[in-house]
Amino acid sequence: MPDLQAAPILSVKNLRKSFSGKTVVDDVSFDVYPGEIVALVGENGAGKSTTKNMLCGLLQPSSGEIFVAGAPVTQIKGLEHGISAVHQELSLFQSLSVAENMCITDLPGAKANVDWKQADRVAQEQLDFLGIEIDTKASVESLGAGKQQVVEIAKALLHADKLLILDEPTTSLTAPEREKLFVIMDRLREKGVAIIFISHFMDEVYRMSDKFIVLRDGKQVGNGYLKNVPRSKLEEMMVGRTIAESSIDIGIPTDVEAVRVQSLSSYDFHDVSFKVNKGEILGIAGLMGAGRTEVVESLFGIRKSEGEIYIHGQRVNKVSIAAMKKLGLCYVTEDRRGKGLFGIRPVKENISAADILRFVSRRIKGFGFRGESVEAQKIVKKMNVAIPHIDSQVNNLSGGNQQKVMLGRWLATQPNICILDEPTKGVDIGAKFDIHNMIAALAKSGVAVIIVSSDLPELLEVSHRITIMRTGHMVGEFQRDQFDSVKIISLAASSAFEQAH
Amino acid sequence: MDSVYKAEGGSKAKLRNSLGALKTYPSVPIIVSLIIAFSSFSPYFLTAGNAESILAANSVVMIAAIGMTLVFLTGGIDLSISTVISASAVVAGTVMASTGSIALGSAAAVGVGLGFGLLNGFLIGYCGLTPFITTMGTQLIARGLAFVISQGIAVKGTPYALLDFGFYTLWGIPGVMLICIAILIVSIVGLSQTTWGRELMLFGSSRDSARYTGINTKKIELSVYMISGVLAGIAGMISIANLGNAIPGVGDTLLLIIIGGVVLGGTSMNGGEGSITRTILGVGILAILTNGLNLMGIPFYDQLIIQGILIFVGNGLAMKLSSNKR
Repeated sequence: MPDLQAAPILSVKNLRKSFSGKTVVDDVSFDVYPGEIVALVGENGAGKSTTKNMLCGLLQPSSGEIFVAGAPVTQIKGLEHGISAVHQELSLFQSLSVAENMCITDLPGAKANVDWKQADRVAQEQLDFLGIEIDTKASVESLGAGKQQVVEIAKALLHADKLLILDEPTTSLTAPEREKLFVIMDRLREKGVAIIFISHFMDEVYRMSDKFIVLRDGKQVGNGYLKNVPRSKLEEMMVGRTIAESSIDIGIPTDVEAVRVQSLSSYDFHDVSFKVNKGEILGIAGLMGAGRTEVVESLFGIRKSEGEIYIHGQRVNKVSIAAMKKLGLCYVTEDRRGKGLFGIRPVKENISAADILRFVSRRIKGFGFRGESVEAQKIVKKMNVAIPHIDSQVNNLSGGNQQKVMLGRWLATQPNICILDEPTKGVDIGAKFDIHNMIAALAKSGVAVIIVSSDLPELLEVSHRITIMRTGHMVGEFQRDQFDSVKIISLAASSAFEQAH
Repeated sequence: MDSVYKAEGGSKAKLRNSLGALKTYPSVPIIVSLIIAFSSFSPYFLTAGNAESILAANSVVMIAAIGMTLVFLTGGIDLSISTVISASAVVAGTVMASTGSIALGSAAAVGVGLGFGLLNGFLIGYCGLTPFITTMGTQLIARGLAFVISQGIAVKGTPYALLDFGFYTLWGIPGVMLICIAILIVSIVGLSQTTWGRELMLFGSSRDSARYTGINTKKIELSVYMISGVLAGIAGMISIANLGNAIPGVGDTLLLIIIGGVVLGGTSMNGGEGSITRTILGVGILAILTNGLNLMGIPFYDQLIIQGILIFVGNGLAMKLSSNKR
């Protein structure tokens, strides 16, 4: 039980973090007492990770006050203050043993003569304390995901045992592994360890947590005791508005089929089927890692998959990027810097890249780039991109303008099926508005559009239909007149555990 | 935040333009200062005869450096260029010794270069091996081949016509340099005016983006190593015209000069940034430096030290001027 007489282990007031002038976390304030589990929830990009990194000392807050055990500090020092974090991506050395991993930062014995027996003892004691049975001599790679998670927790608590931050600890666990993790969390609570629990899974949050903090767009929009707040209320806080008031006219879809995918499967997703008509905008909602990007990348021929793909009613036998481009598909990636743009090349080359032949002078086929600047300039103007010069490096543009350059590149290929993956990720509100209007205009001109987005309000605004993916499966679909953000969120986020019940 | 374009004032704009030119050609100030320095030291430096000897002596390195530039632009490296020069020289020399035909000899040189280039390109582009390891392997193979075929001694029996060509000049430009200039023109045009050249530059700046854009990345890598091999073959043939015989180790020591020239010119090893024109200047710096130091009577090993320091300075300058800081 939380010990409310004691001083809070950690108390933050008006925590703020900004990167190069852009505030990503603003005005976060809360207290954590010994033996409490506090859920930190919010949508993708709400600022959970940044908050987590400030709490465990990886990032220095831009402003705000921090009190550790009642005493003000300027920066959190994880080890010194007893605060540790288990991040979503595990950081164990796969080829080393459990004991070696647990003691690696503080090996017993002399530097040149490590006391491995002592290390084993320390690790064993710690595992016993948590009530876990794992062979300390086993190599980490021989353990399943659940045990690796537990080793990571044991390792974290070895050095800092007052506050533990768990970031999405259950995403890679099976249902029994998850149960074991919950038992350990309960045991830690009894021992007076506080836990900040970051999770997308609402059922887990309600099962395990005492208190909650909701972040939305970097701001703290609610906190308090969980038992006073119904789940629908919490989800509403996360999403913001209940139903997005649509301000964009996205037109009416035709009933001519443009693309149909039938029981598409791969390592990352299973038995995915959907179709999109000309002039229709299909939104694909889901959490990170649900397999959305993998599905659309397979449709565009970037990844290998099994199943049937029909374009304009014709079965595509050999799916490749070149074949799909020829059929009028385009795919605008979510990874703008890594897989979309050619950072050090000029804007005009970035615009012509997908259809270079169209931009070269026609006197000799494939020779000379005389018309390129003029053509690229036209697209820049049409897309409303603000750039100093058509020859400036694309690296130097803002996120919004980079996104528009990428969209412009693909729209220049005059596609009739347009796949947009996170089309407004990291762009400012003005550019977002422009891009939404562009998408609507595309649909009205008869283009079939598929949008993958983690920004639910965005999907609600620009989609005719939303389909939801969870852990590699399509789990539901809503027509525009039935859009319900709370239902969509809960479909996307219910865990396998909840399914079983 | 959207970037806002501000109109620039007159003098500021001029300054920025000249800075822009320096970014593209960071080696120009070095070349100018070298020429001024050497011409004040040696009256012979700025003569037509000296220019001719510089041009003749550096055609092999220049041709190979073109190939290396193309490979660098894709973000790769071709360590086999140097010994493929040797291998193709030896094979061409052997063919010419037995047939007396320059045409067959040239075909053999180009064939050997093409063979090694295809092997490199296939292993790197299609099998996914790293350029460094792959070309290190072919470097050893080519070097071994050159010594096995020649049994370690210079291949004699070069046709007289080829020896004559080695001394031929047109308007003071050596014949071998004319071939080099022709290749330069073709490669500059190919790189800047064709879709192949454009795709190569895009691929070099981001291979993932190139793939996601639908560019055939395997074909690009194959073509680049193929061209690099063929150019090494041609360079091998020219080395025979220059030296009179096919020498088994003729190219082996040139690797660092080739790479040094490309890097000094300001072509990035990370890919996507650079040009053939820059390489001409880079190779030019090293050529002028060697020539000038020779005229001053500086011993060979002292020259190496100066060359090494110059590579730091030149590359540092290129990085400083380049807006693309990593």
